[in-house]
Amino acid sequence: MTPLLIPTLAQTALVLVLAPLLAGVIKNWKAKLQNRRGPPVWQPYFDLLKFLRKDMVLSEHASWLFSATPYVLFLSVLIVGLMVPMLSEQPPLKWFGGALAVIGLLALGRFFLALAGLDPASAFGGMGSSREMTISAIAEPAMMLSIFTVAITAGSTNLGQIVHTVAGQSSAFLNPSHLLAFAALFIVLLAETGRVPVDNPATHLELRMIHEAMVLEYSGRYLALIEWSASMKQLVLMTLIVNIFFPAGIAADWSAASAGRALLFFVGKLLLLSGAVVLVETTNAKLRLFRVPDLLSAAFILAALALLSTFLFK
Amino acid sequence: MNLPDFQLASHLIVLLATLMLVVQLLMVTQRMLITNIRLFAVQSLFLSGIAAAVAFFHHAPHVYFMAALTLAGKVVVLPWFLKRLVRKIGIEQEMHPWINPPTAMLLCGGFTLLGYLVARPFADTGNLGSNTFGVAIALVLMGFFLMINRRRAITQVLALLCAENGLFLAAISLTTYGMPLVVELGVFFDLFIAMMVLGILVYRIRATFASIDVDRLNQLKG
Repeated sequence: MTPLLIPTLAQTALVLVLAPLLAGVIKNWKAKLQNRRGPPVWQPYFDLLKFLRKDMVLSEHASWLFSATPYVLFLSVLIVGLMVPMLSEQPPLKWFGGALAVIGLLALGRFFLALAGLDPASAFGGMGSSREMTISAIAEPAMMLSIFTVAITAGSTNLGQIVHTVAGQSSAFLNPSHLLAFAALFIVLLAETGRVPVDNPATHLELRMIHEAMVLEYSGRYLALIEWSASMKQLVLMTLIVNIFFPAGIAADWSAASAGRALLFFVGKLLLLSGAVVLVETTNAKLRLFRVPDLLSAAFILAALALLSTFLFK
Repeated sequence: MNLPDFQLASHLIVLLATLMLVVQLLMVTQRMLITNIRLFAVQSLFLSGIAAAVAFFHHAPHVYFMAALTLAGKVVVLPWFLKRLVRKIGIEQEMHPWINPPTAMLLCGGFTLLGYLVARPFADTGNLGSNTFGVAIALVLMGFFLMINRRRAITQVLALLCAENGLFLAAISLTTYGMPLVVELGVFFDLFIAMMVLGILVYRIRATFASIDVDRLNQLKG
């Protein structure tokens, strides 16, 4: 048990601490690119602390689902964070499951969040839940197909095995199926983390919000948990993308030296991907809600083509 | 030819062919006319890249000539001509396809699958880039689909050009050096003439009907 203990602790700390920072960095860069000063990068930590100190207001019509959801969401995302290879090819919970378990756990969190949006029977919550489900109904298959594409190349749905295989190939990036799957997964990332072409994380403008509408009834400690899990989900998805498609610098084991070097590479890759996200967010306008399925079905087709071309261009 | 070179070339060609396919899919979903023309230019750029790669790895100088002709004709001149046409007659930027984009995308995914299935027997002839034949068939089918799906004369011209891109790719993937130079030149010349004629036709349609919606032509029936 002991050799597993340190990696588990390290990765848990990494997921918990790095996630709000990453959200802060993206927010700050986005503001800079739009000629605003922007909040400092550690603002999300202050927000979390503030929410944790505040009192909660619970609707008298809310059932146990409403109070259970923040914990379910937080724990499911945290477990996913431990199943994704971050610094080392061997994630701490690698025996718990592979790509399918990751997608399933993310879906579990989303399911509970949608129920909790409906539970207090406020009009906005229901609207948010219905929109979230509409989007995820297309985003999720696209995500599954693109992960399957790399899984077929690796011959396993174990994420550690996938990263290991891709790291072993010299010209993996020239592989068209990887390229297509990357493009699809990038669009899914924008949709799942509520980024601009799909949802605007910065506004509370009532008619266009998706995620914000769903969590509108939450306050205090519960809101802190939900915000924290949202940023962790973003970190986990970005980790999945950078480590599956660009596994450069990832460590083979958990020794201190290689893990330190892997941490540098990991942060660098995350910052690059954040830069890409910020560029997309700044150069695009938010889509009308009824145009969002167009974008996501494009992601779906890309992922399907990726899967197809693994068989064609063997 | 030594093996690693061959593998690198085949990787490169497959990658470029896939990018052509992606650009074609973007064209199917894209609603703005000018962006569509730009996408066509990008697709032709990839095509000329494939031709150049084949020429380089096969040491076939006349394919270089084709690559250069594609670069000059389809990346620079034709898009410039089309854009000028669009600006001059000041037509509406947004086009209205018959089938909505998600369905069109799914259909195009089906075309790609069909292309792959049809091309399967040809896939292992051992030629450089022979496995891109499926992509070529898919491009031709999607070009025809675009032609059916769009109402305006100018977008149909664009669709014809896309189908021709697919044919060119098919020629490269099936034979070792692409079609003979004379045939290529003939096809190219045909295309230019067709463009000119269609350009004039678009003017005429517009002058008669104050619109370039080809459905209006049905009113000419006596």
